[in-house]
Amino acid sequence: MSTAVQAGPGAHPGQPAAIAAVSVTKRFPGVLANDAVDFCVWRGEVHTILGENGAGKSTLAAMLCGLYRPDEGHIERNGKVVRLRSPREGLANGIGMVHQHFRLVDRFTVAENVVLGDPNQQRLLKPREIDKRVAEIGDRFGLPIDPRALISNLTVGQRQRVEIVKMLYRGADVLLLDEPTAVLTPPEVEALFTTVRSMTAEGKAIVFISHKLGEVMAVSDRVTVMRAGAVTGEVATTDTSQRHLAELMVGRPVEIGTRRGTSTDNTVALRATGLTVLDGDQTVVDDVSITIRKGEILGIAGVAGNGQRPLARALAGVFKPAHGTVEVGGVDVTGKGPTAARRAGLAFVPEDRLGTGLVPDLSLTDNMLLTRPRGFFVDRRTARAEIAAAIADYEIKTPGTESHARVLSGGNSQKVLIARELAGLGEAGGPQVIIVSSPTRGLDIGAAEFVRSRLHDARERGAAVLIISEDLDEVRSLADRVAVLYRGRIALEGATDQLPLESIGLAMAGVDESASAGLEGAT
Amino acid sequence: MIPFRIRLERRLERHWWQTAATPLLSILAALAAGAIFLLIEGFNPLTVYRELFEASFTSRYGITDSLTIAVPLILTGLAAAVAFRMNLFNIGAEGQLYLGAIFGSWAGLAIAADLPTILGVAAVLIAGAVGGALWAAPAAVFKAYFGTSEIITTLMLTFIALFLMRYLIFGSKSYWRDPEVTNFPQGKKIPPTARFELWSDTRLHWGLVAAIGIALLVWAIIRFTSLGFDMNVVGSSQNAARYAGIPVRRTVIVALLMSGALGGLAGATEVAGRAYALDPNGLELGLGFTGIVVAALARYNPFAIILVATFLGGLRNAGVALQGLPGERVPVEVSLMLQGVILLFAIGGEIFSHYRLSMTRLNTVAAA
Amino acid sequence: MNDTAIVLTLAAAVAAAVPIALAALGELLSEKSGVLNLGVEGMMLIGAVMAFQVGDASGSLWLALLVGSVAGAVFSSIHAFLSVTLRANQIVSGLALVIFGTGLSTFIGKSIEGKPLATDFTPIRWGPLGDIPLLGPLLFDQDPMVYATIAIAILIAFYLNRTKAGLSVRAVGESPGTADTMGIAVAATRYAHVMAGGFLAGMAGAYLVLGQVPSWSQDGTTAGIGWIALALVVFASWRPLRVLLGAFLFGFARRANFWLQGEEWAPNIPAEFLSMLPYLLTIAVLVVWGSRDLRRRVGAPMALGVPYVRDER
Repeated sequence: MSTAVQAGPGAHPGQPAAIAAVSVTKRFPGVLANDAVDFCVWRGEVHTILGENGAGKSTLAAMLCGLYRPDEGHIERNGKVVRLRSPREGLANGIGMVHQHFRLVDRFTVAENVVLGDPNQQRLLKPREIDKRVAEIGDRFGLPIDPRALISNLTVGQRQRVEIVKMLYRGADVLLLDEPTAVLTPPEVEALFTTVRSMTAEGKAIVFISHKLGEVMAVSDRVTVMRAGAVTGEVATTDTSQRHLAELMVGRPVEIGTRRGTSTDNTVALRATGLTVLDGDQTVVDDVSITIRKGEILGIAGVAGNGQRPLARALAGVFKPAHGTVEVGGVDVTGKGPTAARRAGLAFVPEDRLGTGLVPDLSLTDNMLLTRPRGFFVDRRTARAEIAAAIADYEIKTPGTESHARVLSGGNSQKVLIARELAGLGEAGGPQVIIVSSPTRGLDIGAAEFVRSRLHDARERGAAVLIISEDLDEVRSLADRVAVLYRGRIALEGATDQLPLESIGLAMAGVDESASAGLEGAT
Repeated sequence: MIPFRIRLERRLERHWWQTAATPLLSILAALAAGAIFLLIEGFNPLTVYRELFEASFTSRYGITDSLTIAVPLILTGLAAAVAFRMNLFNIGAEGQLYLGAIFGSWAGLAIAADLPTILGVAAVLIAGAVGGALWAAPAAVFKAYFGTSEIITTLMLTFIALFLMRYLIFGSKSYWRDPEVTNFPQGKKIPPTARFELWSDTRLHWGLVAAIGIALLVWAIIRFTSLGFDMNVVGSSQNAARYAGIPVRRTVIVALLMSGALGGLAGATEVAGRAYALDPNGLELGLGFTGIVVAALARYNPFAIILVATFLGGLRNAGVALQGLPGERVPVEVSLMLQGVILLFAIGGEIFSHYRLSMTRLNTVAAA
Repeated sequence: MNDTAIVLTLAAAVAAAVPIALAALGELLSEKSGVLNLGVEGMMLIGAVMAFQVGDASGSLWLALLVGSVAGAVFSSIHAFLSVTLRANQIVSGLALVIFGTGLSTFIGKSIEGKPLATDFTPIRWGPLGDIPLLGPLLFDQDPMVYATIAIAILIAFYLNRTKAGLSVRAVGESPGTADTMGIAVAATRYAHVMAGGFLAGMAGAYLVLGQVPSWSQDGTTAGIGWIALALVVFASWRPLRVLLGAFLFGFARRANFWLQGEEWAPNIPAEFLSMLPYLLTIAVLVVWGSRDLRRRVGAPMALGVPYVRDER
């Protein structure tokens, strides 16, 4: 075993870790997801892997459960080296992972889902026995579930319980939970913590993957913080504070030539009031009010899954809000659809570039027409000239104007989107409000720089820009003002240069600084 | 074990010649397979193929008969193409064809007598289109509003249409039935002003021109109108359609209605060009289903549909014509089998236009 | 009572239901694994012609039945290959199978066209039970295939609901991605069930040609039963026992014409409208139940008709 593992805080000398990752490295094309990471969990311990999106937590967890194989380094289970080639082998070794996106068959009952694919299951199903065992596990660990319930009738919190029971049923002693509280209401979170405690009482090892500081502090024994693929710190919860963890999590970002807006025009370009969006019975955008003036860039930061997508779509008119209003350039476009919003001067570059922003099986010329008003006949000549010019000016790598959008790389499709949505900037009829989601995600430096300069340019010309991104660095370098989205609400707002970094980090992690002075307790 | 892993990988670029090559290669592969089969059965494949070809494509009557059969196939092919390229699986063109024949023959009988021929024929065609669209409407509405499978609804409606058509001629003394013919039930003939003129002494009629014209029209709609544009977007990505503000439900309904109308036109052209009456026996030929085959082989391209329809029409015709020809006693079924084999190969080959085979050496994947 | 037209019709309906039920049960298995196979007609025709050839040559009814079934299974493997491995459009593939099957079976059947078959299925009498009014002729005086079909339906129902393998195939049809993650071999499962469907469809065709219409002719042998079977699966909400019931209804609808024409009290419903009935009912069921089936356990497998592509890791 590596020395880091043995000597770490809270180590139990003489006892092997329930599971450990020893100097694991994992590479994907263009990305170093994990860089010589050391990690271990003991029996009866709750250990959280903390970090932002892209920090490498999910990759590490995937290697621990057998979904991925490390390029370098190895995994140890109870002190013995194991090579896990699939999640099934992971389970055979007693390691189970509950993913963010559940792997459940909607039309099956709870019991059927638990038993599906279980190698230890006999050929003949004995429903009563299975039901009994499932209910038993549920009771033992504080996970009340009805084995006969249909998954489609369960709430998200209940479905998560099914996933946990699934793992326990197959004898998992090490459980990895990927962002488990992201989809839970506060009382469900409490119930989960109770479950976790009863599991550790029986000697199970629990690995939490999370970005939510308050909960992390409440339930974990130890925390490993990751940033950009490497471990930035490993501490016992009792030895640290939320502020400290936030620092480790967010780090000291490099200032990439920030330029702030110099506009004095106070005209409101986009105003959203009390915007609320529902997804089924979940509130994904909760009473959000935003104001953006001409010549200003507002950035909305937050960890993925806190309402960014529905918010962008509600503002752009693609989703109909349950409550609230959206005004573009003073015109009320609430619930009138994207065409009305566009007519009022709104442009939207979605994060799903190929599939939403661009139509994969259409030519580039046709894609230029997608968000433009069209008469009875389709006039391709202007669009073709436009895209041809854009290909030349922006150095878009593509076989030609008629090639399908599908063949474009990430950077090039973003260039096409920018060319389309920002066309006519500064002229009459051009975009007044530009919403961009994840503008530089997945782009190489050159393309990213291009996008940034175009957005600055838009601001210079008096447009109002809204950037929604999970990359805090991106937001802070581009935006004049920042707002933080947490659980569908605006948790914090202010001028970028005046908001302390730790405050932003804490808000992203769901901590309300003004609530308590100690800042050590739970949310 | 096997030291290589063979995988199907998505292609990133598609040249136009690759798109055209696949059906052609499939046809060749199918003919090769067919040749092997013929050899086993003791026939000379080259002779057989030559006779087939001659029967349909070289003699004057052969070509015109092939083209005559091609007319409804072009239209049912268009019907399938319009819907299938949007992942809307209207397999009820057969039934929509019957309704088109019903409506078209009614128009011919009821209103064409006093009109000049061009209007008379137009009335038959328009009525046929309306009939077909009407028959696709339930499927369209159920799909758009309830998400009901259009595969099943259009298929069920086909059978209902079949029985309806039979009822009108065999089961009752309806308006469509000819009261003067008493020994066997037959449809009343439409007046000459409702008929397509024949081309000299052949069976080919001007409906061919109409069909080709309609193919051009469909192509133009898809290519040049906003409706066509919307259909293209919805067919490729519903997310993009919603993002762009395109009404998805409405587009789906319009597409299915259009598809139905095309099927109805197929029935109408059969009435106006060949049967001159509502003739169930002459219509129950599986033209609707064959149209799906045409569309698939032609990759949903209207121009290719014209060519493929002619080719399949020729194959069909050859089967019939061969029976009267001296020489090699080729079984009639060969043409039907060839159709099926060609289609199977074409379907199988389709994948190679989207994916390619890649072989990677399995190295140290296991040792991590 | 048992000599009346209605009872005779009902009894005939039971026999008429056999091929419909068999073909539908086969298609049910295929669809449960997520593969739509429109080629039922083709598979039935192949089963029929092969069964007839073997039956004529060997004189053994059961051998003919077996060969017909196996022929159907082999024929359906083409569809499995196209749909599962080559990920082709399942609808077009199924239709191609019908066209090919029609041609191929006609070709194979040339030598036996119109020839009557020597043997026939003799009904099994269950003794005095066969004299019970109404139920007697219906249930206790039928040829062995009727009982075999009922047994097959019960077996399939048991398989799907009570066995581990049945659970796996249902998962493959509902959510192949989930099934794949849970370690189930999606492609192999689909192949197996498509071919099982072909086996039963071949059996249905064989039974038709051996038991009910003891001769082979180019058209009219299967009389569109393959298409009815497709409708029946939907009508029965993908439940095997309901398939039996539906097959009986559909079989009755086909036989009812003759019966009603002989009855004075029956209104003069044209035969064609009676024929329409099964199809109208299917649409009604589909629409009425369709909007509710999100909540219920019945309904089409969610992944029906969609080729499964595993995302690259």
